[in-house]
Amino acid sequence: MSVKLGLIGAVAIAAASMSPAQGDTIKVGIIGTMSGPYALFGQNFKYGIGAWVAEHGSKVGDHQVEFIYRDEESPNPAKSKALAQELIVKDKVQYLAGLYFTPDAMAVAPLLEEAKVPMVVMNAATSAIVEKSPYIVRTSFTMWQNTVPAAKVARAGGARKVAIAVSDYGPGIDAETAFKKTFEAEGGSVAEAIRMPLNTTDFSPIMQRIKDSGADMIFTFLPAGPPTLGFVKAYIDNGLKASGVKLLSTGDVVTEPDLPNIGDSGLGILSTYHYAVSHDSPENKAFLADMAKVGAKPDEITMASVAAYDGARLIYKMIEATNGQKDPEKALAAVKGMNWVSPRGPVSIDPATRHIRQNVYLREVAKQDGKLLNKELQTFDAQPDWGLAKD
Amino acid sequence: MTDRTLAEDAIPARIAIPVELRAVAIMLTLAAFGYVLFPDDLAFLTRLISIALLVLSLDLVTGYSGVATLGHSAIFGVSAYAVGNLCLAGQSDPLLLLVAGALAGALMGLASGALITRFKGLPQLVLSIAVGQLVAALANKLSGLTGGSDGLSGISPGRVFGIYAFDIYGRTGYVFSVAVLIVVFVVLLRIVRSPFGLLCRAIKDDSLRARMIGARVYPRLVLMYGVSGVVAGIGGSLAAINTGVVGLDSVSFERSAEALVMLVLGGAGSLWGALIGSIVFQVFEHYVSAANPFHWMTMVGALLIAVVLFAPKGLLPLAISLTGRVASALRSRA
Repeated sequence: MSVKLGLIGAVAIAAASMSPAQGDTIKVGIIGTMSGPYALFGQNFKYGIGAWVAEHGSKVGDHQVEFIYRDEESPNPAKSKALAQELIVKDKVQYLAGLYFTPDAMAVAPLLEEAKVPMVVMNAATSAIVEKSPYIVRTSFTMWQNTVPAAKVARAGGARKVAIAVSDYGPGIDAETAFKKTFEAEGGSVAEAIRMPLNTTDFSPIMQRIKDSGADMIFTFLPAGPPTLGFVKAYIDNGLKASGVKLLSTGDVVTEPDLPNIGDSGLGILSTYHYAVSHDSPENKAFLADMAKVGAKPDEITMASVAAYDGARLIYKMIEATNGQKDPEKALAAVKGMNWVSPRGPVSIDPATRHIRQNVYLREVAKQDGKLLNKELQTFDAQPDWGLAKD
Repeated sequence: MTDRTLAEDAIPARIAIPVELRAVAIMLTLAAFGYVLFPDDLAFLTRLISIALLVLSLDLVTGYSGVATLGHSAIFGVSAYAVGNLCLAGQSDPLLLLVAGALAGALMGLASGALITRFKGLPQLVLSIAVGQLVAALANKLSGLTGGSDGLSGISPGRVFGIYAFDIYGRTGYVFSVAVLIVVFVVLLRIVRSPFGLLCRAIKDDSLRARMIGARVYPRLVLMYGVSGVVAGIGGSLAAINTGVVGLDSVSFERSAEALVMLVLGGAGSLWGALIGSIVFQVFEHYVSAANPFHWMTMVGALLIAVVLFAPKGLLPLAISLTGRVASALRSRA
C-alpha cells in the first residue's frame, strides 16, 4: 500500500516538474454589491458561482480557478474602477466579472483593453455596456430585451394610455425609450413619463401624478433592491391597484425575495423577465439543488445567481480555450456564438453583440401551495438585445 | 489646542530646522515607503491622497476655525465635476486642470462659506448639510453636466509636463499626487501659523473676545472657507484626474461625513492629525473590505467606537501624550 502511494507520489512529482503550467492558479475578480442595501444580489453572485463550482469542481484542466470578491457597495463608479484596477494590478486577475450597476460597469470598461482582461457582466443591464469594450460579454439581460415584450403584452392586453415611471439612470432611460418606442409603434400612447432619482424612497407623489395622468396602466423599472418594494407598496396603498390601474414591470420589481413582503395584495402583478425561480425545467431543478448545497436559502435566490452561474460557465470555457494563458482574443472567440441550456431556458451568446440571447417570459404574481411566485404565462423565444440588434 | 501650538513653535527654535522642511522630509519618506513597499497599491494610495486633501480642507474650517460642517464634499465634488467637464471639452493638461479645480473650489468655498459662517452652532450644521444636499440634488438633476447616476466617465487627462502618462498602474498619478499634497501641506503649514491663521484660531476659541480685540470675524471665516475650498478643490481635481470618473458619491453626504470621521479620528485642529486620520481610516477600510467584503462595515464601526472610547481627541493627541509619557519616564530613570 505504502509502496503504491509512494509510486503515485513520485509520478505526480515527475508530472508536476515536467509541465510548468501544472498547478497554476487562475484568478477571477468578482465585483458585486456585497454589503449595504443591495447585498442580497452580491451574495447571489457568490451563490451562483458557488453552485457552478460545486457542480464542475474548482479546476479547469490543470488550472486551479480562484474567485476573489470585492464590494462595489452602491452605484459608485469611482470605487468600482479603483477595485478593478487593484484586482488587475495587485491580484493579477485574468478575468473580471460581476458588476451589479451600470455606472460601475461603464467605469471599469476602459481598463480592459489596456490590461487585456475579459469581463463577464453578470447584471448591469444598459445596452451600451457591451459597446464600451470588445472584451465585455454579458450573461444577464438588458432593459431593451425585457421591455420590448412588455410593451407588446401591454398593447395586446388592451392598454391604451400608459404612465412610465423609471429610475433616472442608464437602464431606466433605456427602459423608458424601449417601452415608448414599442408601445407607440403598436398604436398606444404614453400619458406620462416620470424619471425617479435612484435614491427615491417615498413614491406617493409619483403615484399621485400617475393617478392624475389618467393612465390605465403603469410600466415601471427600478433596479432590484429595497426601493422596488416601496414602489409596489405605494402602488397598492395609494389605491391605484384597487381602482383598476394595472402594473406592468420588468421582473426586477417583483424579485422572488420581495414577494412575501408584498403579500397577497401583489397577486396579479404582471412582469416580463428572463428568469423565474419557479421556472419548470430539469436544468433549473439541478441548479436549485446546487444552490442549496452552497447555502443559498430558497427565499434568497434571484436572477443574479443565474447570471453568475452562466457567467462562471463562460469563464471556465474561456480558461479551457486559452489553456490558462492570457489571450483575451482567443478567450472571447471561444464564447461568441456559444449556446447551452441554462436554468432559465435555452440561451446563446450573440457573436455580434456579445450579449446573451434568451427567452423572455410573461409572468404573473400567483400563489401556489401557499407560496407567492412568478407564474410563467407566455414565452417570447430567443429574444436578442433589441437595443443593439440590427435585425 | 493652544499648548500644542506652542509646542510646535518651540521645537524648531531648539533644533533650528524649519517646520516646513521637516514636513517635506517626513512626507517624502512616507511617500517613498509607500512606493517601495506597496508598488501594487499605488492607485489606492493615490485615491487616499485626494481624500486626505478633503480632510485637510475640512480641518481648516472645522479644526482651526470652529465651523461645524457636514457638507464639505460639495466643494470637492463641484471641482471634480468642473475638472471632468473641462477635460471632456478637450483641455487635458493635468496642471491646467488642477488650477481650474482649485479655482472652482475657491469659488464654491467662498460661496458656501459666505452662507454657512453667518450662523453658529446647530443652525450652522444644518445649513451646511442643506448646502451639501442641494449640490447633491443638483448633480443628480443636471445630468447633462454630471452624467447623473451614470457618472461622468471617459475623462482622460494628458501627460504631466507632456512626458509622463497616467496609466493603469498609477505610478504617474502617485508621484503627481504626492507632489501636489506636499506643496499644499507646506503652504497650509505657513497659513495656519500666519497672523491670519492664528486669528481664525482665536475666533474658534472665543469669537466674542476676538471681536473685542478688533478682529472682523465674518470676513475672516469666509476667507478661510475660500482657502479651504482651494484645498478641497485640488483634492477633487486629483480624484477626477486619477480615476477618470466622477460619480454622485463625490458630492454625497456620506463623503462629507466620512471626512469628518477621519478628521476626528486623527485629531481636529492639527494638519498632521488630519493627515494621520485620513491615512489610518482609509488603510484600515481598504484592508478590512478586501479581507471580508461582506461584513467589513461592522469592523470599521468597531474601530470608530474604539477610538472614541480610548482616544476621544483623536490619534495624534494620543500619540503625543504617549510619547510624552514615555519620554518623561525615561528622563526620570536617567
